[in-house]
Amino acid sequence: MREVDLLGALEEFVTGKTELSKDGLQDFAEVLLKEFKRKNRRLERILKQSDRQQIELDRYKTELEERVDEAVKEIKVLNNEIVETQKEILFTMGAIGETRSKETGNHVKRVAYYSYILAKKWGLSEESAKILRDASPMHDIGKVAIPDTILNKPGPLTANEFKIIQEHAEIGYDLLKHSKRPLLQTASIVAHEHHEKWDGSGYPRGLKGEEIHIYGRITAIADVFDALGSDRVYKQAWKLDRILTLFREDSGKHFDPELVDIFFDNLDEFLKIRSNFRDETNDSSY
Amino acid sequence: MDTLHIEATKFTPDILLDPEERLIRLVGKSYPENTFDFYAPVLEWLQNYFEIESSEDTTIELEILYFNSSSSKLFFDLFDIVEDAHNRGHKIEVKWIYDVENESAEEAGEDYKDDFEMLNFHLVEK
Repeated sequence: MREVDLLGALEEFVTGKTELSKDGLQDFAEVLLKEFKRKNRRLERILKQSDRQQIELDRYKTELEERVDEAVKEIKVLNNEIVETQKEILFTMGAIGETRSKETGNHVKRVAYYSYILAKKWGLSEESAKILRDASPMHDIGKVAIPDTILNKPGPLTANEFKIIQEHAEIGYDLLKHSKRPLLQTASIVAHEHHEKWDGSGYPRGLKGEEIHIYGRITAIADVFDALGSDRVYKQAWKLDRILTLFREDSGKHFDPELVDIFFDNLDEFLKIRSNFRDETNDSSY
Repeated sequence: MDTLHIEATKFTPDILLDPEERLIRLVGKSYPENTFDFYAPVLEWLQNYFEIESSEDTTIELEILYFNSSSSKLFFDLFDIVEDAHNRGHKIEVKWIYDVENESAEEAGEDYKDDFEMLNFHLVEK
């Protein structure tokens, strides 16, 4: 009997509209009992369906979480790969610039770590210090456009040759300035401003004091400290005492005095880097 | 009698009630926002169909991937109508179609088959 019919019959009986004999009542009660049991079983089955859906949902959720976790891991690996690739390319490009002027790959490594220390101690964030560390090897990339005859000339340069060499700062900047990536933007600043001097006597723009970006001021110290301590085609490596004297004298002239103070305060760390990344041909002593 | 076709949505199945083909088919998921309102025209159509149409063979196919508990109750109501028609002499074949990997759909089908033991109810593995 359908639910609606059964309920109707029950209501008629309860309200006294229908009277039932003893046997009729017995039959009706049996139908009701059967229907009650059936409905009860259905209710259990509906609840079971709800339970099944709950389990399915939980399984989906777990599966989804696992998949998201895996995807995130993969993204991190790929992202790291991109960052590492960028660093490697920058380092290699920087090394190209250096080898053209017969400098070694270790020069760019040392400059990178000197810059990192100065950046950190000066107060740049860890992130910016790392970006500068990774970008600073590019400081001389503009030298790719300078003729070998001038770059590797053992004797003194003519005024015109010196002018040509100086162009490497502007050239490096022009090569890198179009990128929007923080690493390449930093590299472009470094390439552009690492020959500027605190007193305004540097090149290419003759910027003065804090007009020179902190990246440029830092790389200037890092580059000069390393260049003086290394053999070059045109000079022998300087002894450490002589280098330190120059830094004292040039504080506030060539270099940012605050950075020179930081340099002296942390000289041990600089010397450790110098000894860890020593050139095989570099016979500088201190 | 007109054919009733309700297209599938994200939460509701594709429903085809075709009096000419004598085919009643529901395929998809069933999580309507208000299950009883959503299925009201379907139940009404079925009641009319079994009252108007002759008792020739009718096929009912349900391929419901996932459904909520109110849909579960609704399908009991639907099969009540079918069972009633069967009791009045209609020849009806019910096919509960499920994917072999969808265990919960299979279990639900078994529950309906068990409850409507008078019906010609088949579990069909896809």
